[in-house]
Amino acid sequence: MIAALVLVPILAGLALYALPRRAEGVAQWFGVAVAFAMFGLTLAASGAPDESLRWLQRPFTASFHLGLGHGLSYWILLLLTLATGCALLVVRLPRRRDFVAQMLLELGAMSGVFLARDLLLFALFWDLMLIPVFLVLIEWAPSPRSTSSWRYLVYNLTGGLALLLATAAYGIVQGSTDVIGRAPAQLAVISDAWSFWIFAGLAFAFLIKTPVWPFHTWMPETYADLPAGMAAVVSAVQSKAGLYGFIVIGATLFPGPMHQVAPLMFVLGLVALLYGGLIALVQDDAKRVVAYSSLSHLGLIVLAIFSFNPIALGGAVVYIVAHGLFSAGLFIVLGEVEDREETRLLSRLGGLGARNPRLAGALTIVVLAALGLPGLCGFAGEILILTGLYQAGFVAAAVIALIPVVLAAAYMLRILQRTMHGPEVADVPQREDMTALEIAALAPLAIAIVLLGVDPGPLAASTQPAQPVGSSAAGPAQVARAAGTAR
Amino acid sequence: MTQTLTIPFGGADWATIYPALAVALSALAALLADLLLPRPVRRAAALALGILGLAAGGALAAQGWGHPYDAFNGGFVNGGFAIVFEEIVVLAAILSLLLAYPLGRDDQAAGAIALLLWSASGAMLLAGAANLMTIFLGIELLSLALYCLCGIASWRAAREAALKYLILSSTASAFMLFGMALLFGATGSVTLAALAAPPASNALYFTGAGLFLVGISFKLSLVPFHEWTPDVYEGAPLPVTAFMSVVTKAGTLAVLARFAYAALPQAQGQAILAPLWVLAALSMIVGNVAALAQTDMKRLLAYSGIAQVGYIVAALAGTSAFGLRYAIFYLVAYTFMNLGAFSVVALLSREHDEGSRLASFAGLGYRQPLLAGMMTFFLLGLAGLPPTAGFTGKILILASSVNAGYTWLAGLLVIGTAISAYAYFKVVRAMYARTAGAPLVRNAVPTSPLPWLGVGICAVAILVLGLYPIAPSDVLPLVK
Repeated sequence: MIAALVLVPILAGLALYALPRRAEGVAQWFGVAVAFAMFGLTLAASGAPDESLRWLQRPFTASFHLGLGHGLSYWILLLLTLATGCALLVVRLPRRRDFVAQMLLELGAMSGVFLARDLLLFALFWDLMLIPVFLVLIEWAPSPRSTSSWRYLVYNLTGGLALLLATAAYGIVQGSTDVIGRAPAQLAVISDAWSFWIFAGLAFAFLIKTPVWPFHTWMPETYADLPAGMAAVVSAVQSKAGLYGFIVIGATLFPGPMHQVAPLMFVLGLVALLYGGLIALVQDDAKRVVAYSSLSHLGLIVLAIFSFNPIALGGAVVYIVAHGLFSAGLFIVLGEVEDREETRLLSRLGGLGARNPRLAGALTIVVLAALGLPGLCGFAGEILILTGLYQAGFVAAAVIALIPVVLAAAYMLRILQRTMHGPEVADVPQREDMTALEIAALAPLAIAIVLLGVDPGPLAASTQPAQPVGSSAAGPAQVARAAGTAR
Repeated sequence: MTQTLTIPFGGADWATIYPALAVALSALAALLADLLLPRPVRRAAALALGILGLAAGGALAAQGWGHPYDAFNGGFVNGGFAIVFEEIVVLAAILSLLLAYPLGRDDQAAGAIALLLWSASGAMLLAGAANLMTIFLGIELLSLALYCLCGIASWRAAREAALKYLILSSTASAFMLFGMALLFGATGSVTLAALAAPPASNALYFTGAGLFLVGISFKLSLVPFHEWTPDVYEGAPLPVTAFMSVVTKAGTLAVLARFAYAALPQAQGQAILAPLWVLAALSMIVGNVAALAQTDMKRLLAYSGIAQVGYIVAALAGTSAFGLRYAIFYLVAYTFMNLGAFSVVALLSREHDEGSRLASFAGLGYRQPLLAGMMTFFLLGLAGLPPTAGFTGKILILASSVNAGYTWLAGLLVIGTAISAYAYFKVVRAMYARTAGAPLVRNAVPTSPLPWLGVGICAVAILVLGLYPIAPSDVLPLVK
């Protein structure tokens, strides 16, 4: 059943190419159906036993080992299938059949990343999820001279290869790569030097994928060039693969090196946090604002992970999903805006809200979630992370991390104000306000944003396996509940 | 001396070279068919006989599995190792023959196919060759036929390629022969097994082994002995290039592996081979960097082949048992990926135009989606991305390099692969990018649909080997 979460989208994506090219509507509804079916399947498969098939015997053992569990994988998969389904509902591109097919392939590959319980299988899906994004970047790039596809490919493939080398080395040293989610006590002890360098290879891949400053330069261009649907999925879920790696692979398999590099990661996280926030303030392209805001938000999660505080870690998990929800929402709504005005430049937009009140409402919800309004999901994650940082004694970091939270309000409201309010720019013929379908596409995301904001408890508690041993008093779930109900 | 002149070899000796003989004889049959049959069917008949002969050779070789035998006083060691390489050669030759239908003018076609088969039989001889004489015999048989094949096309570049190949390859053969002579001088024997005994004179032995390896490196086109490869590949007709890119390399790799694993004394072996790993590292980097700028598929695949052979040789580093298995596995993967890509190029070619320019791939994703999809799959494999045998092969090579203590080689392999991505994905981009101004190339009607068969076989094999790599675990043999 779990294998179906990976195989069905991939096979469905390939099958779409057998459809006639003109059957775009059929392809789109087929894609939506597959994505939401996978959402349902994820719900149904919660807690299902792992599925495993032997792959390699020598030089180390490896398996096609997939597992869902109740933890982080489960929540990310729900986010992934939901975001894909919603994004597919509102696709309005040329050659839609091919686009839907690539979205489904990407869905399958990313499901594989988050379900893999074998390091080699993880590396396989990690590389696999590059390909649909690259193909979409070259096929739907706004300009044929755009170099975003190369940047995306070269950066991420370099990371993927480092991951591959680290995996090979880990397999040789450990004798097996079938290790994700296994208790450290069951594994052979690796010498410090090997452990450090293997972790370095993994961390390099994770940092590029997230991305964390200074490996982020592929990101703004990629997000800007990707069609809204794919940008939503990539920023919502693909960017979480690295953070997921740190939490699920780094913290359990490489606790020593994780602590060793923590100071460096703290610095990188803080720089990303401030740099992303500041650059987001001055970008003119709305998608780039969101891209740089991602850099800033994900920097906060890096801080949380490397504080090794259970509350901050719970917050990281909540914020991973929260960021996925609102960034998917932001990209989808901005895609709607671009659809109507044929530009994303804030300097050329304005007054859209007057004739599109529903669109303005949708943007307001996701913007408020993104800037961390209490009661919505962004706040729940932020407050947990900041509390955890403070509790772990990183007071200075917690104070610095407050700055981008303020910046977020500035740049997010700037998007809202420049697009929806102000004098109306009426040089382009406008489409009508959001249709029922488009509202239906955003409604699940909006509902999830509110639900997660009100009760992040179950999600915050889902880090149990990755939680460092001997953690202090109050668990993340309790604090999360407190944060949720305090209002 | 009362000895009478008898042939000291029995039926069991001859049986070991039946596979190579079958292929060589099928070449004669193809020539005979050309003489006897009516003109319209000659080409097809020669092709069919060639494929039949190769298939027979493959079947005969498979029969020797599990019955290792040292034939001809150690001149041809038949065993799992030889059989695997023979099967690779047979496979590559069949896949190249599928592209060979349009090869040569009408009156040349059968001759060209016969030459290809003879060349393949030389490579099959190399698979089991275990003394210096048989090695040289095999290499010359392999090369002589190729000199002619390179020049068989009517265009000027083909003649240039043939001449260049002839001169440079002969020079390399001379180096190799000189090395063999010195090795013989140092050890008093030509069998590889005897070379493993501690030599009397180290200087002579080292020089001999060094010169021998120079010759091998040239035939394998390892950097810095690679300069001939792109020019020859570009000038030669497409089926010949496809054949050369795999069969020459497979045959020479068999020799190299046997030499590295079976012929060198324990004490000095690693010292003698050390430069080879450096050459492998250079090939991975230089080959991939040079591939970046190519705009012709044949040249691109030539440089990519240089790098890919670098990966394979890197797997041998440290001469570990695993390494050999994974080298063979990657060679099989490379065979399918490379010949798959060449088959796609062949399907794009029309009369007087081989379709190997990058421009002929422009917009292919919209004109022929299936073909473009297949090409993308093969290029993914060459770039080492999943879900292909290239990915699995690469992880196995990395693991064996790390295992043998050659982590630096594994690191360079990763860097080389990262560079290569641009070269391969340039083609993918050309196929799928929407370029407004570019002229759309006319939809190619392939001169023969046979390469589709090759495309299908290669794609399935790459997928299956990628997800279920049985061979590396246990089946693949060691040197015997």
